[in-house]
Amino acid sequence: MKHLYSWFVFLLFLLASLTSNGQQAEKTISGNFSHVPFEQFASQLEAQTKLRFYFNPAAVDSLFITLQAQDVPVRTALERALQNTPFHFAIDDENRVFVTAGVTLEPSLPDSFFRSEREGNLANNARTTEKAPASAPGRSRYVREAEAKLYEIGSGSVRGGKVTLAGHIRELKSGEPVIGATIYSEAPSVGTSTDQFGYYSLTVPAGRYDLKIRGIGIKNTRRQVILQGDGKLEIEVEEDITPLKEVVIEAEKDKNVSGMQMGLEKLDIKTLRQVPTAFGETDILRVVLTLPGVKSVGEGSTGLNVRGGATDQNLILFNGTTIYNPSHLFGFFSAFNPDILQSVELYKSAIPAKYGGRLSSVLEIKTREGNKKKFSGSGGIGPLTSRITFEGPIIKDKSAFIISARTSYSDWILHRLSNNSFRQSAASFYDISANISHQLNEKNSLYLTGYLSADRFRLASDTTYQYRNQTASLKWQHNFNNKLYSVLTGAYSHYAYDITSEKNPVNASRLKYGIKQTSLQADFSYFPSSKHTVDFGVSSLVYNISPGSLTPNGENSLIAPDILAREQAVESAIYASDRIDFTQRLSLSLGLRYSLFNALGPRDVYQYTPGVSRTETSIMDTVRYGSGKVLATYHGPEYRMSLRYGLTDNSSVKASYNRTRQYIHQLSNTASVSPADIWKLSDANIRPQVGDQYSIGYYHNFRANTIEASVETYYKSLHDFVDYKSGATLILNHHIETDIVNAQGKAYGVEVLVKKLTGKINGWVSYTYSRSLVRVNAGTPADRINGGRYYPSNFDKPHDFTLIGNYRFSRRFSSSLNFTYSTGRPITLPLAKYYIANSLRVYYSDRNAYRVPDYYRADLALNIEGNHKVKKLAHSSWTLGVYNLTGRQNPYSVYFKSENGQIRGYKLSIFGRPIPTLTYNFKF
Amino acid sequence: MRASLFFVRVALFWGIPLLLPGCIEPYMPAAISSPQSYLVVDGCINSQGVTTINLSRTYDIVTQTPPPVETKATVAIEQEDGPHYPVNESTTKGTYTSPNLTLNTAKNYRLFIRTGAGQEYASAYVPVKTTPPIDNVAWRATDAGLNIYVNTHDDTKASQYYRWEYEETWEIKPPYSPIVEYKNRQIQDITTFFPATCWGNNQSTAIQISNTTRLTQDVVSDFLICSYPTTSERLRSKYSILIKQHAQTQEEYQYWELLKKNTENIGTLFDPQPAQLTGNVRCLSNETELAMGFVGAHSLEKKRIFISRMDLPQKWLIQSGYESCVPPDTIFLTKPFPPPPPAVTLQSYFGNPNYLPIYPVYDQMGAIIGYTAQSRDCIDCRTRGTALRPSFWQ
Repeated sequence: MKHLYSWFVFLLFLLASLTSNGQQAEKTISGNFSHVPFEQFASQLEAQTKLRFYFNPAAVDSLFITLQAQDVPVRTALERALQNTPFHFAIDDENRVFVTAGVTLEPSLPDSFFRSEREGNLANNARTTEKAPASAPGRSRYVREAEAKLYEIGSGSVRGGKVTLAGHIRELKSGEPVIGATIYSEAPSVGTSTDQFGYYSLTVPAGRYDLKIRGIGIKNTRRQVILQGDGKLEIEVEEDITPLKEVVIEAEKDKNVSGMQMGLEKLDIKTLRQVPTAFGETDILRVVLTLPGVKSVGEGSTGLNVRGGATDQNLILFNGTTIYNPSHLFGFFSAFNPDILQSVELYKSAIPAKYGGRLSSVLEIKTREGNKKKFSGSGGIGPLTSRITFEGPIIKDKSAFIISARTSYSDWILHRLSNNSFRQSAASFYDISANISHQLNEKNSLYLTGYLSADRFRLASDTTYQYRNQTASLKWQHNFNNKLYSVLTGAYSHYAYDITSEKNPVNASRLKYGIKQTSLQADFSYFPSSKHTVDFGVSSLVYNISPGSLTPNGENSLIAPDILAREQAVESAIYASDRIDFTQRLSLSLGLRYSLFNALGPRDVYQYTPGVSRTETSIMDTVRYGSGKVLATYHGPEYRMSLRYGLTDNSSVKASYNRTRQYIHQLSNTASVSPADIWKLSDANIRPQVGDQYSIGYYHNFRANTIEASVETYYKSLHDFVDYKSGATLILNHHIETDIVNAQGKAYGVEVLVKKLTGKINGWVSYTYSRSLVRVNAGTPADRINGGRYYPSNFDKPHDFTLIGNYRFSRRFSSSLNFTYSTGRPITLPLAKYYIANSLRVYYSDRNAYRVPDYYRADLALNIEGNHKVKKLAHSSWTLGVYNLTGRQNPYSVYFKSENGQIRGYKLSIFGRPIPTLTYNFKF
Repeated sequence: MRASLFFVRVALFWGIPLLLPGCIEPYMPAAISSPQSYLVVDGCINSQGVTTINLSRTYDIVTQTPPPVETKATVAIEQEDGPHYPVNESTTKGTYTSPNLTLNTAKNYRLFIRTGAGQEYASAYVPVKTTPPIDNVAWRATDAGLNIYVNTHDDTKASQYYRWEYEETWEIKPPYSPIVEYKNRQIQDITTFFPATCWGNNQSTAIQISNTTRLTQDVVSDFLICSYPTTSERLRSKYSILIKQHAQTQEEYQYWELLKKNTENIGTLFDPQPAQLTGNVRCLSNETELAMGFVGAHSLEKKRIFISRMDLPQKWLIQSGYESCVPPDTIFLTKPFPPPPPAVTLQSYFGNPNYLPIYPVYDQMGAIIGYTAQSRDCIDCRTRGTALRPSFWQ
């Protein structure tokens, strides 16, 4: 296996050098080496010359060099050093030295290589010259041949003009599309990346190109093409089976600097898997929380606060459908099964015009499409949950399915507790995701996704708490031609909760809430030339909310039914954006989205006396709107702009501005997200939220793109997001606007990230300084909070430091270490007590005037992989982890209780001790 | 619903953490341990009668002592551009009372305070509101228990904002009347019998407010003041409630509404965001110094009703409050065997002043072998009320 690996590496470098002509720089070296390990010898040579050595460390571990040299040419020195050993070397014209055992590499092509005959003019019908070493094992024959082959594409009728090459990049074994892979040519420098369907379209002048393909989770590859006209090139690439270093690394290695997008964090499943979690299971939201600019109020909460935005300002998309509650078990787990995930993208700024409806961020979660070639499965067993995934072809190479399920079995732990009321409790959840993809023909593909997650708790046999997300989407991708394709998406998502209380038959009740969202969206991508990438589309979204109902539960219940009127609305948007690459260094993306929101009847709308605090007493009139009548309309432009300027090959500056509008608001007067939170639409009395964000960043890659560094700074202003008056009642409130105030917010910060994804040690370090401030200054003085001054939001944590580190001892053993520090979150403290009207009253501080103690935590995990034989029945791995290694009692919650006339403060830590976990994962 | 949500919270924060090695520890940040002490003004200006104002201070939330009272202050009711009426400290420290006054309802009044330390405070000038009389205090017995309602109206539509306080009194009849007592280390016939009846007393603590602004008439109909379950011991023999009605300005009403929301639900984790609330009293000599309380000016209307056990449904199983007191304990002088000297046994039990003998216990031969006994709380009703018959008691 080790040999295989080293061969892969060799081959990569070999292929990368194939185009060049061999010319060695005749550098000289000096030095006395006496039985020094080869690695040390190589590094000394690297220090003296511009040479870079490539070798398999395992193969040379018994190679020792004895050499005395004084201004000896490199070539001679190496010949002397390696004589009488089984090792050979080769130097190419880029000063790369390849040291191999047994076989000598030929770093340059034979001169005859480029004399390809111009004959066949059909794609995939070109003459080829085999040049890959016949002995290179591990790479499939198909890929070896494809790489060495010269594809002639097009009829040659547009010689000298522009031609468009398009196609899909798919994984060889499973046939799944590779998302976000880049395909580019270095000279001339043009490139693009694949979309969510693995589709790419590249418009370039006709001519010969050496196209390189890089992507997450695939092995780097290349295709040589001669473009004479528009044509298609389907590319199949190899999956990167073992999580070995170079592979992940090479993926998009310079995207940090060269990519247009700023404020984008992209995580692939491999990165996600390395981060230790409390329950031993890969948890995307937990990992997202370690990224700079992302915070949450507490460690048991999955509510994300992105760059000072509230938890409801994140659009969480699961294959295009909106997920309203992305957590299980009150936020201890995220509701996505890691086995089905392909990637997670978080847009913090420069949100593409395609997305809208939320103010702060877009979290796009994509699942795999399933293996199109053969059946396979995987799973995992952990202390609280188990999961299983099956995938396989329905019609080989054309359609595939993947289905994944996860369930918890935490009941047995509850039942072991000594406390009787806990023994009567139950807590369970499950989620199921399924995806079917089908290629109708070359131009049309269909994608069907279904998702269901459900939670159920019964606490001390009294109150049963249930909530569920159900979503489905159908996508139809149609390619009009190489330059234009469309995706039509129909999506449905439903979130509901249901709380039943049974303790007392007289008070037994059922509280329900539900939101339904149905949407239709058409997105078009048009590639007129290599300088322009145009996206445009329309979307329409229908909301239907049951804002709450309380009904009696059982015959003996005396609860009076209380049902809030339904809310309906339509949110529509039209957008267009163009990415213009002026030069290699300068590119600009301009986008405009225009959104329109109509709140619809039937509904009774209260009208309030202007100039007075809205209370029940200031209701002037009630206006009844009939079914389908528009009771409020809001609309406005959303600007999306970003700019990139490359300073050098290794550094760039990017700037962006975007405006976002949000017409749906989450109402939660708890600091953290709770399942009983409700979503409320804008209506005649509640305005939409509007946010503007300006950000600028500097990006620099070091050490041949192996270390990425970035500094981003942003300023954000938020208008009309909801905050609550003192003592607001949110559940079953018939006039919720009386308890809500429109708040203004501002947030600013600097995010510094250094990421190293190569080598034995990899990971990232991030530091964020950020502030998030709120002001409630509108309305009457009674409605103002803290006298109308700015105050810190619930999630204002100025300093935040995160380290995610991995160390690989060998290919089978690796370890991960997390370290997180952040300032404690703000709280409002009761400062003093006093008696008025015979009762104890409490005098509170200004809202959020104090902070809970600082937070810090370290976690450790050890991954043990089974052997790396490619062909065996099942691959398995063990993950052994310790969460909160130091056992620090970080406050999850600080609260005050009145006990015997005393008010006492308590600090609750949930993970107050080190938590060991063990998880078994398998794949077959 | 609120209760069940609360339960979820409790379970969430106490139950689920139990699955994990969670822990709860006391948490008292420095800001709480050493709070500033602000003046608290409790009371309102009575436009037709005696004004009673209680002055105290805010204090540390962890202490269990009664609030520190503010003594030796100079207090006056001030008419805007008019006379001052002194409010002098009564014999109860921190309580200040005025003479019987009738204020001009066309004028604005405020309360002025100069503390013993020399700081000057004043409430905002407020108009005088005249409280309409209480039409009646109604009660109804339902299957769930007793509900007490208040009804009032104001034909001039001038009141609109109401607040009520109440004072309850009820008879307490203890189950035992001892005939012996332990005095001077021996049992003797009792010299003074324990009272057979006491009167329990309670003042309202919840803020009771209502408004009629959404009604076409200024009528409060059957506002629920308080309710008791069918078992409540207060209803055991005779119960009385005195309801005091205040008409308020809109500002004063909003203050009480916010105070109610702000401080009556403390202790649950999912509490609404609390707000700073002070009132209408300001410090004149130091702007940064705060004061708590809202001083309004209005007249006061009162009404008392009585409810006897006979008036209530017979099927109600009203508790006596002494359920845990029956049966009495028996202290045997003959046990254990061999018995220690009786004086030792007696002292070991009745040496505690809160444990009292009731009757002697005899054997078949008529010899005293022990005494029945109970805690003082089961015998002496003065632990639960006063033995002084209230002057209004019928």
